[in-house]
Amino acid sequence: MRILHELGEGLRIALEAVRAHKLRSALATLGIVIGVFTVTLMATAIEGLNNAFTNSISAIGSDVLYIQRFSWGPTDEWWKIRARQPITMAQGKRLEERATMAEAVSMESRANETVKFEDRTASGVNVSGVLASSAQVHGVDLSDGRYLNEAEVDGARPVCILGATLSESLFPRGDGVGEWVAIGNARYQVIGVSARVGNFAFGDLDNQVTVPLTRLAGDFVSNPEVTLTVKVGTDAPMEEVQEELRWIMRAIRKVPLGEDDDFSINNQQSLLDTFGKFSAIAGSAGLFITGLSLFVGGIGIMNVMFVSVTERTQEIGVRKALGAKYRAILTQFLAEAATICVFGGLLALALAWGATQVTKQWLPATISPTIATLALSISATVGIIAGFLPAHRAARMKPVDALRSE
Amino acid sequence: MPCVVSDPTDRRRRPSGWHRLIGETRESLSMALDSVVSHKLRSGLTLLGIMIGVFSIIVVMTVLRVLDTNAQESLSELGPHTFRVKRTPPFFFSSSKERRKVRAREPITWRQCREVIRRAKLPISIGVEEGFTNGTVRSEFAETNPDISLRGVTPEVFPARVWDLEDGRPIQDADVDSSRLVCVLSNGLAKKLFPHSEAVGDRITFDGLAYRVIGVLEKKGQMGGDEDSFVAVPISTGLQRYSNPWVSLGIVVQAAGEELYEETVEEVRGIMRVLRRTPLGEADDFEIVSNDSLMEQFREVTFAVRAGVSVISSVALLAAGIGIMNIMLISVTERTKEIGVRRAIGARKRMILTQFIVEAVILCLLGGIVGVVLGVSTGNILSFFFKTPVVLPFDWVAYGLGICTLVGVVFGAYPAFKAANIDPIDALRYE
Repeated sequence: MRILHELGEGLRIALEAVRAHKLRSALATLGIVIGVFTVTLMATAIEGLNNAFTNSISAIGSDVLYIQRFSWGPTDEWWKIRARQPITMAQGKRLEERATMAEAVSMESRANETVKFEDRTASGVNVSGVLASSAQVHGVDLSDGRYLNEAEVDGARPVCILGATLSESLFPRGDGVGEWVAIGNARYQVIGVSARVGNFAFGDLDNQVTVPLTRLAGDFVSNPEVTLTVKVGTDAPMEEVQEELRWIMRAIRKVPLGEDDDFSINNQQSLLDTFGKFSAIAGSAGLFITGLSLFVGGIGIMNVMFVSVTERTQEIGVRKALGAKYRAILTQFLAEAATICVFGGLLALALAWGATQVTKQWLPATISPTIATLALSISATVGIIAGFLPAHRAARMKPVDALRSE
Repeated sequence: MPCVVSDPTDRRRRPSGWHRLIGETRESLSMALDSVVSHKLRSGLTLLGIMIGVFSIIVVMTVLRVLDTNAQESLSELGPHTFRVKRTPPFFFSSSKERRKVRAREPITWRQCREVIRRAKLPISIGVEEGFTNGTVRSEFAETNPDISLRGVTPEVFPARVWDLEDGRPIQDADVDSSRLVCVLSNGLAKKLFPHSEAVGDRITFDGLAYRVIGVLEKKGQMGGDEDSFVAVPISTGLQRYSNPWVSLGIVVQAAGEELYEETVEEVRGIMRVLRRTPLGEADDFEIVSNDSLMEQFREVTFAVRAGVSVISSVALLAAGIGIMNIMLISVTERTKEIGVRRAIGARKRMILTQFIVEAVILCLLGGIVGVVLGVSTGNILSFFFKTPVVLPFDWVAYGLGICTLVGVVFGAYPAFKAANIDPIDALRYE
């Protein structure tokens, strides 16, 4: 109870002191505001960049493995992997038969063709050849019609699913399902239209047309190089599934023991890791530079607090003579510093919120509760640290000396 | 407290304006120093703030300069007043449509190169070069990774690219004329292939052909990477083996001097347009690249980042400036009586103003100097990691100190103005 009372009294005196020196307090607050504002904005910007990147690769899927000829990461010794052989459909087939731990295995291949319907043309469209099991691997969201089924893939039927943008440009009224379109020189019947996916770092998924892989191999690319896509599922941990796939692939591709893999197993995490390294370096540099201004703001507070202590030496003497303990005086000055800082922190948050409303158009970032809490606790900490030395000096004074001081 | 009372016996001598200004400044300086010294803690903290603010600017600027120097060194592959004519630009950042257009450009042929050499009058030398292929180089002692490039060159390329020889001789016209199987090795490559013996006179094999080493280049710059792993052969030798309809050659042109540079570029551009039958009014279907244009592109690409970083780094100094202003205001309030006394015995408003501004500037400059020293040394720790020479951004040191002075003047101005406008009577009565 004593502590609470002391705290209350300290706060009251602090508020009075702040009010009594309006200009001085305002300037000290301004210093803190600048510091907290820049740090908050920097943290928000970093978070925004990370979000933007994660969003743009989210279509990859977090529990999907991609077995491909080359790795997504940077490679130093390209001449070592240059000679790797493409992964064929036959190899994919064998992997599908032998893999036991994964939830679903599928393969995909791509081509680039012009799609036509009557007098409307879309050029440079991604033609994606898939299996029926791709639906399980990636999950499918259709706005109209249905997905490919196994019979259509096995029988290489000329059916296709249009991406949202492509469907809009070929069928503005959205009545594409059932029509026949020309992809390159071949004719396909539209059986479905997929829902909009949005931005993706590696190509526009909305401007693509999905056909049976078997059909793609017949019409556009003979012997296509395929990407094997594997949904890990919940039955086994990703590392184990990956290890199983690796050894099956090595067996299928007849890699001798002791040799390096002649294929790569990629997943979203490796991309995130690569990006994370860059963003961590850039972020820490940015936070260091902006942190300096917060530090400077803190020094300003400390300075003002020292002045305040010197000016009020007599007052401190009186209080101590009347029986105030070390703790009471300490609380009083700490409260003054913390008040200035927390107020500054709140003001800075409000300003930073306004600023993010403006930058929201370019960066998908708003101040998260984490950042807000962090900013406030940092400014309170700065206040306490900056206030401690002056407060300690005041609280330690001998009442006699304090009263005698001029 | 030192204050000047003019000697009454000396009233006849009226000091000139110039002397008065010097006197006032000297007096302000000594008073400012006194007050800085008498409030050690307060001044120290204020100095610390300014120091950090300046440190932040200087360290960022030094780091940017280090990166810039680094980029410049890795991009400067050509000698002075030298430019290259190529089919495609070295960097490319525009739309896919543009990219397709560039890709469709016709290659620069050997015939075109010969014609340029025959027709151009202004250049002092014109070389032809092309990186034909990458592969493994073998000597009887060692073997490299398959990433060594085989470059075909003419003798003129040596001065244009500032290739100096450590040993042996360069490729000469006779080598080109008779397509000899000879080569010049870059320094690092020679060291790798012939670790214990001299390379010149020995043989290497590349892609199944044996070449006699006739020269080894001097080590060039800090940049290991690409610049130090190639084999230069006569261009005719390279063309004999690797020529195909898509091979596009590069032309290296050296102008006679700085003043003739622009003219030379225009002459070569004109000849190339005629040779390639570029219609009037159309853009060039080739690129002209120089060290400067490369650096310019690099600066353009990094401009936004550098501008942003510069702005962010100066925020700390702003915060420090506000700190200075606050402390000066407090100082003015505390010394109201002193100001009253000075005014009462004849000090002008201007003198009071000078006194306080000088005090603020001194605080800022002291902090600034320490900040500059710390910033430059910290920034150069980075240059150590990049293995670039130490950078002293003299211009930024000057700016930094200039900005400090400015901060002192700007943030000292209001408190000083306030002090100067105190009514002497009120000031004397002030408790």
